[in-house]
Amino acid sequence: EEPILSPAARRMADEKGIDHAAIAGTGKGGRVTKEDVVRHVEEGGPVV
Amino acid sequence: MANQFDVVVIGAGPAGYVCAIRAAQLGLKTACIEKWSDDKGKAKLGGTCLNVGCIPSKALLDSSHKYIEAKEDFAKHGIKHSGVDIDVPAMIARKDNIVNQLTTGVTGLFKANGVTLLAGAGKLLAGKQVELTKADGSVEIIEAANVVIATGSRPIDIPPTPLTEGLIVDSTGALEFSEVPKRLGVIGAGVIGLELGSVWGRLGSEVVVLEAQDKFLALADQQIAKESQKIFKKQGLDIRLSARVTGSEVKGQEVEVTYQDANGDEQKLTFDKLIVAVGRRPYTENLLATDSGVNLDERGFIFVDDHCVTDVPGVYAIGDVVRGPMLAHKGSEEGIMVAEIIAGQKAQMNYDLIPSVIYTHPEVAWVGKSEEEVKASGDEYKVGTFPFAASGRALAANETHGMVKVIADKATDRILGVHVVGPSAAELVQQGVIAMEFAASTEDLALTIFSHPTLSEALHEAVLAVDGHAIHIANRKRR
Repeated sequence: EEPILSPAARRMADEKGIDHAAIAGTGKGGRVTKEDVVRHVEEGGPVV
Repeated sequence: MANQFDVVVIGAGPAGYVCAIRAAQLGLKTACIEKWSDDKGKAKLGGTCLNVGCIPSKALLDSSHKYIEAKEDFAKHGIKHSGVDIDVPAMIARKDNIVNQLTTGVTGLFKANGVTLLAGAGKLLAGKQVELTKADGSVEIIEAANVVIATGSRPIDIPPTPLTEGLIVDSTGALEFSEVPKRLGVIGAGVIGLELGSVWGRLGSEVVVLEAQDKFLALADQQIAKESQKIFKKQGLDIRLSARVTGSEVKGQEVEVTYQDANGDEQKLTFDKLIVAVGRRPYTENLLATDSGVNLDERGFIFVDDHCVTDVPGVYAIGDVVRGPMLAHKGSEEGIMVAEIIAGQKAQMNYDLIPSVIYTHPEVAWVGKSEEEVKASGDEYKVGTFPFAASGRALAANETHGMVKVIADKATDRILGVHVVGPSAAELVQQGVIAMEFAASTEDLALTIFSHPTLSEALHEAVLAVDGHAIHIANRKRR
């Protein structure tokens, strides 16, 4: 299943070269919010 | 060094001018070339949309709607008058003033953002050089690190009905009639044909719309299309489907049109004016030097990838001159994407969620997939509808025609399409666009509070109806 990203989350993930699937989404049904991407970066999550 | 730029945009329509402003905002030294000029030789900015498209047609649609409302509906509110009249030249002048105000506004925005306006025709040479030919015939070569082509489109003319000054016109001419034609023919029941037909129909023309296709609004959801067709018919638009125009003859101040009806029989109709609104084609006349390296596709559009990059690195093309729907907001968003890509950002554009609007009254608007498209995809889906006749707000406004339709995926509940014919359709669909950008489920919208009484509640109820929970209509029995 392709993860679902909000428009801002999508943009930020692409800018930072982050694999969408690697981000833990906290939104409804696992949706990835911009906050999730920020947290992913702060916690030093994997970057492609 | 005056003629060296980071970005040279060719065309100042909604795609080009927005791209130029965004590029300048991002710190790029930007020029925008526009060849369209007024009779005083001053560049006219804003392109088709501002000058002869979106804005002028909406100005006339709004004026003509107010007239027909005063004429036909005021009595229902208990408002009496001794008769309303129209002054067509005054109506046209108001439209021209709005156009002027907006095009001047773009000039101001260019100045405020530091975009250099170059009046003249731009031609792309090899090596990202742009040849600028000014109105006085002088030629200048401009060096560009990046070129953005935004040369737009123009109306398609068809051999059976060659344009004839003041008699057989395209959309531009149809915005300039100095009086109401008694009998008006429109070829093409698309957005442009329906809008222009509505304007003059409201002002008193007997309108016949000849459409070659057998389906009305073939790209729209067909339930919404059928509902719309019913409403337009009631308004007096005589829409004839499967009507293929084969010829025309100008007889004095009249034009006789010959067409083949659905049975293949030849029919003739005589009009005082004929509008040809069969579509628009990309405009690339005199744009590309033979060695520019930029290629066209088989339909004459400039060939680009998903990021609007042409076959030449550093040369982009956006708006009506490339694939995709010919809509102002599509071109503008492509302009922003391209400016941001040039500035080094990873911009992209969501082509799946470009809303469509027809500014008839009631409006028709939609986003996402139609029921026909969803059905064809083979995925299981569910549908909810809500009629404006059951909306308190719509009743108060005397705007009870039409409906909202929401289509969602059966397994995931994700919203796949929102389709509306009715009051403020474009605004309701926009709420759907926002929801869909966030991949909302119908439950997400169901759990959202909608103000009462508002037209937006019709979207809420349609969303509730998807799972049979609508409050203000009897829900269909679940099977």
